[in-house]
Amino acid sequence: MAEEESQFEEFEQIDFLRDRHVRFFQRTLQVLPERYASLETTRLTIIFFALSGLDVLDALDVIDRKTMIEWIYSLQVLPTEDEANLSRCGFRGSSHIGIPYSTKGPGVLHPYDSGHVAMTYTGLCSLVILGDDLSRVDKQACLAGLRALQLEDGSFYAVPEGSENDIRFIYCAASICYMLDDWSGMDMQKAIEYITGSLSYDNGFGQGAGRESHGGWTYCAIASLCLMGRLEEALSQRELDRIRRWCIMRQQSGFHGRPNKPVDTCYSFWVGATLELLDVFQYTNFDKNRSFILSTQDRLVGGFAKWPDSHPDPLHAYLGLCGLSLIGEPSLRKVHPALNITQRAFEHVQQLQQTWRESAGSCGRQH
Amino acid sequence: MSGAEDLSNKSVELKEDKQFDVEAEDNLEDDYFDPTRYLFYRDRKEWADLEPVPQDDGPNPVVKIAYSEKFSDVFDYFRALLKNDERSDRAFALTAEAIELNAANYTVWHYRRVLLQALTKDLREEMRYITAIIEEQPKNYQVWHHRRMVVEWLKDPSEELEFIADILSQDAKNYHAWQHRQWVIQEYKLWDSELEFVETLLEEDVRNNSAWNQRHFVISHTTGFSEPALVEREIQYCLTQIKKAPHNESAWNYLKGMLQDQGLSSVPGLLERVLRLKETHCSPYLLAFLFDCYEDALENSSQEENKSDEELKETLEKALEICHLLAHEKDTIRKEYWLFLGRSLKNKQGADEPAPGQQERS
Repeated sequence: MAEEESQFEEFEQIDFLRDRHVRFFQRTLQVLPERYASLETTRLTIIFFALSGLDVLDALDVIDRKTMIEWIYSLQVLPTEDEANLSRCGFRGSSHIGIPYSTKGPGVLHPYDSGHVAMTYTGLCSLVILGDDLSRVDKQACLAGLRALQLEDGSFYAVPEGSENDIRFIYCAASICYMLDDWSGMDMQKAIEYITGSLSYDNGFGQGAGRESHGGWTYCAIASLCLMGRLEEALSQRELDRIRRWCIMRQQSGFHGRPNKPVDTCYSFWVGATLELLDVFQYTNFDKNRSFILSTQDRLVGGFAKWPDSHPDPLHAYLGLCGLSLIGEPSLRKVHPALNITQRAFEHVQQLQQTWRESAGSCGRQH
Repeated sequence: MSGAEDLSNKSVELKEDKQFDVEAEDNLEDDYFDPTRYLFYRDRKEWADLEPVPQDDGPNPVVKIAYSEKFSDVFDYFRALLKNDERSDRAFALTAEAIELNAANYTVWHYRRVLLQALTKDLREEMRYITAIIEEQPKNYQVWHHRRMVVEWLKDPSEELEFIADILSQDAKNYHAWQHRQWVIQEYKLWDSELEFVETLLEEDVRNNSAWNQRHFVISHTTGFSEPALVEREIQYCLTQIKKAPHNESAWNYLKGMLQDQGLSSVPGLLERVLRLKETHCSPYLLAFLFDCYEDALENSSQEENKSDEELKETLEKALEICHLLAHEKDTIRKEYWLFLGRSLKNKQGADEPAPGQQERS
């Protein structure tokens, strides 16, 4: 297809339009039309895509950090006076339940208000990206809320009232524990068992045991094990080599998520980051990957779509940038492949944790 | 969208032309009564006892979705019901409207389930309802979870396989559908016809990776893969499909996956069969499979006393040839990977340099 185009068009196609992407994320953070209604309960994840995207673009200066931090804290489900709701604490995806806006405790008693594990994860990420020190996060409450979500088989629900349970929420849980530097939020051994049980006969990971292997779930599996510091304990060298092979076979031009499926921009990150964590991303074809990602760039409104000539959305816009960052696109910040935030934001997390450990140590308390 | 009417007790005399057939209207305006006009909940008499609860994003909302009046009205009343934890038929009816506006709102679905139980609603009717919703929105997590809950309450999976088959006929790789199917089969032990179902799908599309996965799922949970006759049957099945469509990663992944733990080189005659196939039905997957056979032979050589140094050297040479062929000709997109594998294999066999180490990232 490319050979038939003129040289000029080829150049156009590979031109990375930084400013368009900045404006795309800025607009995302403002107002979305009603047809985006299905994103209501997950608005905090959309904020994360936009903020982390702007961070990768080194363009966080375009937003008002303070007001954004306040809004994120308004989504925290805090303990009530009597702490009866600890198992429901964490962060909400949005104000959709109708709790009156508040950035302080104590929590409001409401029969249906609870956190959502993916929102707690992206909420914490968003706060650290904005440079917040997490001092207003009730960490113990978050961890109590997290413990309430884990099942006997090691997987997690998304919400305490019940939902589907699978490997995605193990990744969210692992990220939360990692950032809060506290693994009391989960039974790690059980989580590892669920992960290794999800390894398919073809050496990718499915959403659970027996299920079809998939680039997204493979990322969740490997990234979780890395965050836990248990990659080589949980998987043998032979298994790791086989997983490397499954992952690297996903490259077709860009990457797809399952054998015999079409390529999709977001897998340039899900599979690319997995390969990076397994130390073999360097052996992929950077040119073809880059060409595909840029072919899904929307030259008018900015952002990236899953396929060429499709509508861009915040998720693909963010993961497209991360995919480019992995291959070393010059104007982009490096992304921490397991935590899925910039290296810069990750260093902020490390500094915070250092501070917490020092203050715990100086008071003679056990961390 | 059908509207609900709030018919007041008062009938108002119209000053309209009596030629027109006009019905009693429900408000004091000089208007025709239109039974199809949608009425906001805030204007419905039977909802007047409830104070609507708006969303409150504070002074500086982020990623605000610009809802229409109708949307806000429905959800303002949903939030009011939720706050009071009202258990009523009107609440149940409203959840359906809320779902129509946003079927991804998991709180609405949860509340609907609470009401289904509190009001002891007809679960068979709920099955019909959720069937229709999934047909419209088959890639939504909440609808499949809801269906699973209803099936569990009814303890009746009898409609499931047919329903899922219908969804798969529209998208044969729908991950939610396959997941639900596996749950139903495992939970209610509905294994009997599944292999047949898989083969039908593979006949329609031999490259359907989900169907290959399902094949493995069924066999591993029923007969297992230990019996040699069964393994041979599966090998033959794979090779037949590969002959029909050589460039099919799924078939090769299945073949390798089935045999990799016992060791590819331990299957008598397999290498030869694949080498024959190489002449007429070559693909990157076939070549990678050969490489894995040779690698397995080299790894297990320490256990076998009857492999001469000469044989091992030959096997290594063949493996490296395959890497070279893949890197430079047959799978060039993965050139660097195949060259890396070749180097690693050489190092492992050479025992001088260690293979490149892997660092855990944390």
